[in-house]
Amino acid sequence: MVSPILLIVVPLGLAFAVPLLERISKKLVGYVPVLAMAFNLVLSVVLLRRAVSEPIIVHTGSWQPPFSIHLVAGPLGLLLAALIALIGLGVAVYAMSTIREGATRLYHVLYILLLTGATGIVLTGDLFNLFVFFEILCISSYALVAYRGDRAGIESATKYLIQGAIGSSLALIGIGILYGMFGTLSMADIAQHIHSVAPFGLFMALALLITGFGVEAAIFPLNAWLPDAHSSAPSPISAILSGIAIKVGIYAVARIIFTLYGLETVFLFVAVLGLLTLLIGEMSAFSQNNIKRLLAYSSIGQVGLILFALGIASVTGVTGALFLVVSHGLAKSVLFLSVGVMITRTGSAEISSLDGMGKRMPLSALCFTIGAFSLIGLPPFVGFAAKFTVVRAVFEQTSTLFTVLIGVALLGTVVEAAYFFRIVQRLYFKPPPEGSLDHAGRGQEAPLSALIPIGILTVVIIVAGVYPGLFSSFLEPAATDLLDKAVYIRHVLGG
Amino acid sequence: MTFLYDYVHYAGCFALVLIGLYAVLVKTNLIKVIIGIGLIDTGVNLFLVTTGYIRAGTAPIFSEAAAQGETMVDPVPQALVLTAIVIGVSVLALALSLAIRLYRHYGTLDLRKIKELKW
Repeated sequence: MVSPILLIVVPLGLAFAVPLLERISKKLVGYVPVLAMAFNLVLSVVLLRRAVSEPIIVHTGSWQPPFSIHLVAGPLGLLLAALIALIGLGVAVYAMSTIREGATRLYHVLYILLLTGATGIVLTGDLFNLFVFFEILCISSYALVAYRGDRAGIESATKYLIQGAIGSSLALIGIGILYGMFGTLSMADIAQHIHSVAPFGLFMALALLITGFGVEAAIFPLNAWLPDAHSSAPSPISAILSGIAIKVGIYAVARIIFTLYGLETVFLFVAVLGLLTLLIGEMSAFSQNNIKRLLAYSSIGQVGLILFALGIASVTGVTGALFLVVSHGLAKSVLFLSVGVMITRTGSAEISSLDGMGKRMPLSALCFTIGAFSLIGLPPFVGFAAKFTVVRAVFEQTSTLFTVLIGVALLGTVVEAAYFFRIVQRLYFKPPPEGSLDHAGRGQEAPLSALIPIGILTVVIIVAGVYPGLFSSFLEPAATDLLDKAVYIRHVLGG
Repeated sequence: MTFLYDYVHYAGCFALVLIGLYAVLVKTNLIKVIIGIGLIDTGVNLFLVTTGYIRAGTAPIFSEAAAQGETMVDPVPQALVLTAIVIGVSVLALALSLAIRLYRHYGTLDLRKIKELKW
């Protein structure tokens, strides 16, 4: 039996092997993240098939829970680990040809550490361990946002760091309060005894934890750092931050609300918060001129939709939320990567500089279009299946309030469609600027090593859209894993 | 008075956190903001240690006094604090190095003057 702990140990070991490998050959360095993520992808898919029936619990140091730090590799954790590895693999291949300047070796070390942190967060069953992995993710992403060292990068990294540091301190206070009350850090153990203490302390801890992890999850009042950080980072990092880092924050918030607390009174609050995030993100995205900032604001909008779907708190609702996590992760990384190659070609991130890209870089433009259509929710792409599940969940609820709320949420989707169609129209129906095409009327396509990962992720979007069963057979167990607190406790603590 | 006597450590920790938060929110010099983050870190670490503290307890090391167990402070928060201190140090180091780079680009550390990126 292969242990899920290898999902964390192997990338962590490879990350620190990078500087050693660099001494042997500089060319090898770029292959290390690819190797690490390929390993994680294979292992998490293999484990996921087993974990659907029975979660795999890993004890460290042969201590039984609740006394040890343990990993809980349930369907949800492994599904997200597989998603992280898939997107991480694509972006790592892309980065091999696009990240050439600066300290590339440090880039690769930090990149693997970021993904290790993300994998650790989704797999751990220990509250403090969650915090530690969270900090691994945060610190490496602060450094990676500043990787290019230009004015915008440094400024946004500083902003991100200050907000992130306060957020993590608040989360740590929350963890301290919980430890003070329960004397344990195991999430299952706390969840089991959650009703045995005074509600005031619990409420304090919940507020602090949601605020703390909400900074990374970009929940509405806490997301001022996101547009700057996502737009100033190098394109592969923007893709990872938008595709993975936010989702992991959402996972932490969802785990705390559903598994740790299981509070029904919070759900409506979460749904309304999500709706606010959605509307503000989409409205701000609509008025942007910089394509990367537009995509960053659109990420805020999508996070809002995911939160809203989580707030429905039925199995279908949470399935829809997780489906959105998968579809947005895929679509947003395709968008950021394809925009990345276009920006490298034109040297400008203004939307107007994308004119005629459909002729100049046909394949990248096609992938961008598919990603955008999937994000809007057009069939036959995966975004349609995801949004459809959310809408279905609302109508299963038969609550008037939620029907009104989903109406507002779909209004957000219309705004989203408006700005994405505007860009797609520029790509295909505007003439390319003079001198950008050669004599035969063709442009110069992006390098093959950048196109292949974009293409593969696009193919996944289409395949999963045509055949949603590819994901949905894992999504439902994952949703139950998140919602069914009693089963989670029984699996971890036994009995 | 007994209330104060029992909870004075907590009051101290949260006072530190609040002073740090004040510095982060109000000060316009980046170095002072970073000092504020450092203060928050320290406050949180103190809070963690305090949660495991027993009055007149000994260190959680295997020794004569600790053999009874009742007079030993809780070792888990101390382990947590060690980790949290390391994390805090690395965040502060990164923050300071970013501050150096920021100064090179803008020639100032006044946060009111460094705002090219907006909503």
